Amino acid sequence: MIEAHGLSKRYGSKTAVDNVSFTVEPGKVTGFLGPNGAGKSTTMRMIVGLDRPTAGTVTINGKPYAKHKAPLHEAGALLDAKAVHTRRSAYNHLRAMAATHGISNKRVNEVIELTGLEPVARKRVGGFSLGMGQRLGIAVALLGDPNTLILDEPVNGLDPEGVLWVRNLARGLASEGRTVFLSSHLMSEMAVTADHLIVIGRGRIIANAPIQDIIDGGGRQRTRVRTDHAADLLPVLEGRGAEITRVEDGLFEVSGADSRSIAEIALDRRILLTELTPIQVSLEDAYMELTRDDVEYKSHGFSQEPASAEPVVEGTRA
Amino acid sequence: MSTTSAPATSRRAVRTDGSGVNFARVMRSEWIKVTTLPSTVILLSVTLVVMVGLAALVAWSWATTAQMLADDPSMGPAMGVGNGMDLQAMVYDTPASGALFGQLLIAALAVVLVASEYSTGMIRSTMVAVPTRTPALLAKAIITALVAFVIGVAGAFASFLISQPLLAPENLDFGLDAPWVLPSIINTGTLLAGIAIMGVATGSLLRSTAGGVVTIIGVLFVLPVIIQLISGLADWIPDAARFLPSSAGSQLVATNIADGALNQLEGGLVLGGWAVLLLIVALIVTKRRDV
Amino acid sequence: MSTAAAPGSRSQRSWAGRPVTFGRVLRSEWIKTATVPSTVILLAVSFAVMVGLGALVAWGIVQLASDPESGPPEGIGQSLQTAAYDVPSAGLPFGQLLIAALAVVLIGSEYTTGMIRSTMVAVPTRIPALLAKTLVIAVISFLVGVLAAFTTYLLAQPILGGSDLDFGLEADGVLPSIINTGTVLALIAIMGVGIGALLRNTAGGVVTLVGALFVLPIIAGLLTGLADWVEDAARFLPSSAAGQLVATQVQPGQFNQVEGGLILAGWAVVLLAAAILVLRKRDV
Repeated sequence: MIEAHGLSKRYGSKTAVDNVSFTVEPGKVTGFLGPNGAGKSTTMRMIVGLDRPTAGTVTINGKPYAKHKAPLHEAGALLDAKAVHTRRSAYNHLRAMAATHGISNKRVNEVIELTGLEPVARKRVGGFSLGMGQRLGIAVALLGDPNTLILDEPVNGLDPEGVLWVRNLARGLASEGRTVFLSSHLMSEMAVTADHLIVIGRGRIIANAPIQDIIDGGGRQRTRVRTDHAADLLPVLEGRGAEITRVEDGLFEVSGADSRSIAEIALDRRILLTELTPIQVSLEDAYMELTRDDVEYKSHGFSQEPASAEPVVEGTRA
Repeated sequence: MSTTSAPATSRRAVRTDGSGVNFARVMRSEWIKVTTLPSTVILLSVTLVVMVGLAALVAWSWATTAQMLADDPSMGPAMGVGNGMDLQAMVYDTPASGALFGQLLIAALAVVLVASEYSTGMIRSTMVAVPTRTPALLAKAIITALVAFVIGVAGAFASFLISQPLLAPENLDFGLDAPWVLPSIINTGTLLAGIAIMGVATGSLLRSTAGGVVTIIGVLFVLPVIIQLISGLADWIPDAARFLPSSAGSQLVATNIADGALNQLEGGLVLGGWAVLLLIVALIVTKRRDV
Repeated sequence: MSTAAAPGSRSQRSWAGRPVTFGRVLRSEWIKTATVPSTVILLAVSFAVMVGLGALVAWGIVQLASDPESGPPEGIGQSLQTAAYDVPSAGLPFGQLLIAALAVVLIGSEYTTGMIRSTMVAVPTRIPALLAKTLVIAVISFLVGVLAAFTTYLLAQPILGGSDLDFGLEADGVLPSIINTGTVLALIAIMGVGIGALLRNTAGGVVTLVGALFVLPIIAGLLTGLADWVEDAARFLPSSAAGQLVATQVQPGQFNQVEGGLILAGWAVVLLAAAILVLRKRDV
């Protein structure tokens, strides 16, 4: 269990993390989401004592990370796969880390096998591909067989098999009762891996809720409707508070009314509908909606128009 | 690698005693780090070889000087040997003469060993494994100092051995029992250990390979030159210059003490003082700073 | 993402095919050097310390002048006045240390950060990039050296004036000495780039160059008894040659300024040539 209370980090005049409080519970996978520069990495670094908080505290199982007698047994972290000396072999890097806690060579070989590093274990880390480096980072995190796992972008650079493996690893560890805290930008993966989400933007928590709540709260219900008699149907829907966006001739997106109500209204007036499709809100959509105003670094140009202009939705606030 | 099944490790199989991080374990980790970087091992071997080679050249140089003096005693002053100066006594410094080069390489190595942890990001792994931080830096300093000590003693001893046959033709050879020779050999190790600790401290304070190397080489080799330039400035400058780490270091391994110079013990204490001071500052800063 | 439309159509591009020229590479290297804050700081520090050191030496000479008991510092034959002539270049040891390190770092760090790959992709013929970098660093070092020496000269006059030891630029060997302080730094910078490019490693390059400049002379001193030629050979060391290049007085048996300059330049050229040869052949 990770508990943060009023955690803040300031660098000079810039506040990277602003009065952040949350609890990461054991037994489930908690996803940590946020735009670039939102403060995710800074928060994770404070959890393992690499950065000193300007204010507030963060504890793992009741004690700050540094106060545990055997930190690597308490929490395993993958923060920066590149935190290795390039001229050392993966095997020796793991041995050096293991030695601090008296962890045996047997365990070192176990994690090498677990993460699929056997073919490259004796090679210099400097020559590793991105994916191999990530696996090494995960191996280090698993070395102490920890209660808590903190993984920053674990699937970065992994091939599809690797991505699947991380998903199963995270879910398996959580099902054993461990605490799994992972951050990712890969929405589709996060949607199927995480049980609970904490969303951070510009240093503040924007959302902290079970994943389904976030998906549900992200945007009002939208439905695609195709009809030849729009002039008859649409004013009625608008009268009920729905918002209509025209996609093309005869095709509309209705926001704020579910498909059943639209169908009933149409039936009442004997209007033929040739298409009636609820639009699934993806986690990506919900997330983009949540963080629309809190994106630190906005890119420009070459973008698709979003399907409709939606009103900003509050979502569950922590 | 199993892709579909969760890891089957039993949860408590790994922990043997749960006592976690202790200093002995951190030392072992630092030892592994030093010995598993091929470049370190190579550099240390090169240091040893060059130290011995240099000492051999110095021995040969003394032998040649003695020969020339025997042929023509009036050449004494031109060769830097004044009247009444005992060539034999000066030769006792030969085993430690390679130490100059040893200092250069050990200082650079010590800085790089630490600074490269910062530049590669490895320091973050180290500080996550040992979040109290102090044991890691302390262990690193101790291991580096131990290695430097061994290289110093081995180098000086090998230098001693190799110089005897070179000095023998001029009857300048000597045994380990000659005045201050054995201490000089052992203290070559002490000297390099002290330099190593200074290097580790510098590397962790500056966190930059280039900056650290320039600083420590500057302090050891350029600062004396500069002090020399301004020695006329005030009376106390030449006196104060004796307390520079390089000057103190030379006294530590000297076999003859000139008038007014620090003796071996004083030299050792001054050098040790520098090393300890820098290390303490480094420990404090490392503990407080963000990694 | 904003909802702006894609940028203007491709036919509006005006940058079709501007070639790589040396002038452009030079500009690129200038930008690289001038935009690293630590470089600028280091150069400023070099300047300040060189001037400060020179001022201290001047002050030291004044102390000696006012103390009738102590003799001139430089051995027989040199008066305090001529020692004063050497004040503008007195900061050189420190300047050499920092410039040597800076030059090695500027090229070495391209290798250690991987930036060299970007550079060599932009300039695949490679040599122009190395030459341009060398030129930029050498010119900057020259300027720092000359400025520092000149500033030291200006600062020293009031200090020396107190003991009637002040002098003008027309005094024997002074103006060349000031200018050549810049020359020494420029040549050492070139040596630094050469060594840095050869070793591709910052720490190794710094140790090698600084070792060659400051430790080799000491070792040569230790070995004078070895053979007759050791002392003669030691005059060819880069640090000795540099000393002669900025000397205002040439002692008998030593190289004069021109000879010193040629020797130092020789070192620089050899190292740079070796670096160029190796650069063409090697994988980046």
